[in-house]
Parts: sequence; structure tokens; C-alpha cells
Amino acid sequence: MVVEVRVEVHLARGLRVHVEAPDRVVVSGANAREAIDDLIRLHPLLGKFVLDDARRLRRHVNIFINDEQLCDRDQLSDPVSDGDRIHILPAVSGGTSEDNQGLRNDHD
Amino acid sequence: MTETGLLVSTRKGLLVGRSSAGRCEWEWSGLEFSGWVIDYTVRDPRSGAIWCAAHHEQWGPRLHRSDDDGATWREAGMPAFADGERSLESIWTIEPGAQEGVLFAGVMPAAVFRSDDGGDSWQEIESLSSHPFSEYWMPGAAGLMFHHLNVDQSDPDRLVIGGSATGIFASYDGGESWESRNAGIRSDHMPPELQHMAPCVHSMFAHPKQRGRIWQQNHFGQYRSDDDGESWIDVGQGLPGGFGFASAIDPGDPDVCYYIPLDSDQSRMPRDGALAVFRTADAGATWERLSSGLPQSGFHQGIFRQALGQDGGDPLGLYMGSSGGQLYASNNGGESWTLIRSNLAPVTAVRTWQLDDTD
Repeated sequence: MVVEVRVEVHLARGLRVHVEAPDRVVVSGANAREAIDDLIRLHPLLGKFVLDDARRLRRHVNIFINDEQLCDRDQLSDPVSDGDRIHILPAVSGGTSEDNQGLRNDHD
Repeated sequence: MTETGLLVSTRKGLLVGRSSAGRCEWEWSGLEFSGWVIDYTVRDPRSGAIWCAAHHEQWGPRLHRSDDDGATWREAGMPAFADGERSLESIWTIEPGAQEGVLFAGVMPAAVFRSDDGGDSWQEIESLSSHPFSEYWMPGAAGLMFHHLNVDQSDPDRLVIGGSATGIFASYDGGESWESRNAGIRSDHMPPELQHMAPCVHSMFAHPKQRGRIWQQNHFGQYRSDDDGESWIDVGQGLPGGFGFASAIDPGDPDVCYYIPLDSDQSRMPRDGALAVFRTADAGATWERLSSGLPQSGFHQGIFRQALGQDGGDPLGLYMGSSGGQLYASNNGGESWTLIRSNLAPVTAVRTWQLDDTD
């Protein structure tokens, strides 16, 4: 018998000021990828906020599973267990790009 | 009566200004997209749609569209890479094509997308991204992107595009194939044998009335081409330095061009804190320093590559935003300038529209 894993996704206020969504959404999935996919199925507008073109976690977005930071930012393969909490949070690093070691100057 | 519209993109949102005849008094919108970096905003003269490219460092890029001159906005289709590797960081320019429904988007990381359905869907022009020279492309301080796209409005097959640091490419078959157009341009960031591979274009405009004429501000100098970029003429003699970002043409006169030379790529500010715009009216043979109304001391700011706009009027209106949030306007071809907004976020781009009541 397959036991459905249900987790509660907590959406940061810093995200909800940009897109209409509840602060908590119950989703199902055995790992972070499946849980985030279910979240986006329920709230499609959240997709482009959380994932980039290659369906990786956006560079300046963080996911915590309970109190553990997501390890696999590319595949989101970190497992989740029934009753876990997933937190989607804006990183505090968002003021500059990591591509140029902080040297990027935005427009020139 | 003519109405002039100003689209002022800043690092913290978009402002829309309007002025009736004379371009002296301006009415302003509130700050749209507050907190988002507005990379570029432009009005498509064919449809009247305003396209606003924005990004948020945490939540990614967006493309917005307004069909009522900025009163309301909706999200448009987004260009997206399909290779599972690259991810679009920001859209640097939107350029109307010559055919109905065609739009081009220059983006970071360096690529150009095309839409054939008025911006609902986009496809990467892969023949450009896979050009053999692309292995030499390298990011400048602002990243690696295509930011100036010139479409010949009388021939949809003719495109001339430039980026940082990609150099210039021309296509004569609507983007199916591309030819490098960098011969004779200084590229001091590359060894001599690679000078022509990926010069760092800062701004570049093909003139709509004289086929083949292109004006370019490069990282290392100012250039004019009369043959679609097959060859370039250094027109920097008479200017205080080769470095700068912004430039503007006069759509009514192919021999007129405006540059804003900056001291060097080490300071990226006007020399001695004195802001000035330089104009040629003889195709770059001589230059005139225009500074009336501009600060001549203590101006320790830069002018970004898309932050000098012109409105095509007669006399030409020019609009210049600074990295320190000042916005200057001239309604007489640059002869004199007036500060029309201050205390903005860094101004990333200024573009305009003009409408007659009869339009």
C-alpha cells in the first residue's frame, strides 16, 4: 500500500506581496520536487517565482525542509516525510549576482 | 497637438511621463512595479502596446504589456531557454519587427528571442547562440547580453544587433544566419589576434533613413559605419575620451549623433564632475559640447547605456537619466537642458513616444 506523504508548504510574506497565494498550502509528494510540482499545480502563478527556466530553484530563493536547508537545488531530490514543513523564503543575497562574484553592476 | 510620452525605467520601478506641445511641463504616473528592477520599457508604434521588461533578484524576470499607455498592465509571454541548462536572467531590450506581430527580445545570458504572435510566445534564435564566435563572448560588468537590436523596418530580413561583450552581428535572411561585423573596432580586452571576435558594444543605432549607416559607442571608442558594419570609422577625435555607454541618433538626420563620453572604464563618470552631451552634425567630423543646464561640477554619477532617449521631434527632444536618479530633458536638440525629475532610483533606460491627436 502506498502511503501518501502530505507536507505543508509555508510561503514567505516576501513572496506573497508579489503573487496572490495563501501563507500555507498542503501538498503531497515524496520529495521536494514532487511537493513543489504539486504546489505549482494548485497555484500555477507561483511556478516562475520559485523555479528558473531549467526548473532549478531560483538562485536567490531558499527552501528549508523543517530546519534543514535544501541540498539539491537543481533536481530538488531531497526527500520529505509525512507532516514535514517546507518553507519557501527569499534569500538575503538578492541584491547582487553570484555570477560575477558580486561585481555585477546591474546596468553598467 | 502632439503628446510626448516618456518611459523612465529605474532600478526600483517604472515612471511614465506625458507632455503636450512644447515638452516643457510633464505629468507623471505613480511608480509602477515598485521594487522591481525595470530593465527596459518601450512602446511599439505599430500596435501602441508598451512593453516593460523587469526582473527581481529573488523572483526572476517578467515581461509586462500595457495596451492603454500604462494605465493598466498584464503579464505577457516570457522568453525561456529550452535546453535545461541556461536560465533567462533579464530582458535588456524589446524591438518591434518589420512584420505584423513580430517582436525581438535581447536577453541575458546573451541570446535573442523572436515572437511571431505579438509577444504571446517566444523562440530563441539558435543560429545566433550557436555562432562559432559565441565561445569568445564574455560578460562585462553588467553581465553577458544582447542589448541593442536594429531591425530594418523596410526589409524584415535585415537585422544588425550588438551586445556586451558579443560584438556586432548582421543577418540578411531574417535571422537564419549571422555574419560578424567587427572589423576595425578596438577590443583592448582581447589579444590582437582575437580583436574581431567579441568587441564590447555599449550602444548602437542603425539609421532608419540611410541604409548601412550605424553609430556605435564601444567600450573603447566611438564609431560610424556606412556599409552595415563591414567597416568602421573611428569618429572619436574631438571627444574627451573613448569610453561611454549611451548614444542617440536623430531619426531626421543621419549625420547627427549624440554621445556622452565618460572619463574611463575605471571611473565611469564624466570627467571632472562636469556632465555634457556631445553632438555631431557632420557625421562625426566635428563635435560640439552641450552642457547648458547640466551640472558642471560635483556630478559623480554615470549614464547607463540605454538612459539617453530621443523623441524624433523637430527640434529633437532628448532625455537623459543618471545612475544617481536625475532626469534631464532638452526640447531643442541638446542646446539646453532642464532637470525634470530627481531622487529617482538609478535610471536604467529612457524611451519615448509621440502621438498626434490625429493618430
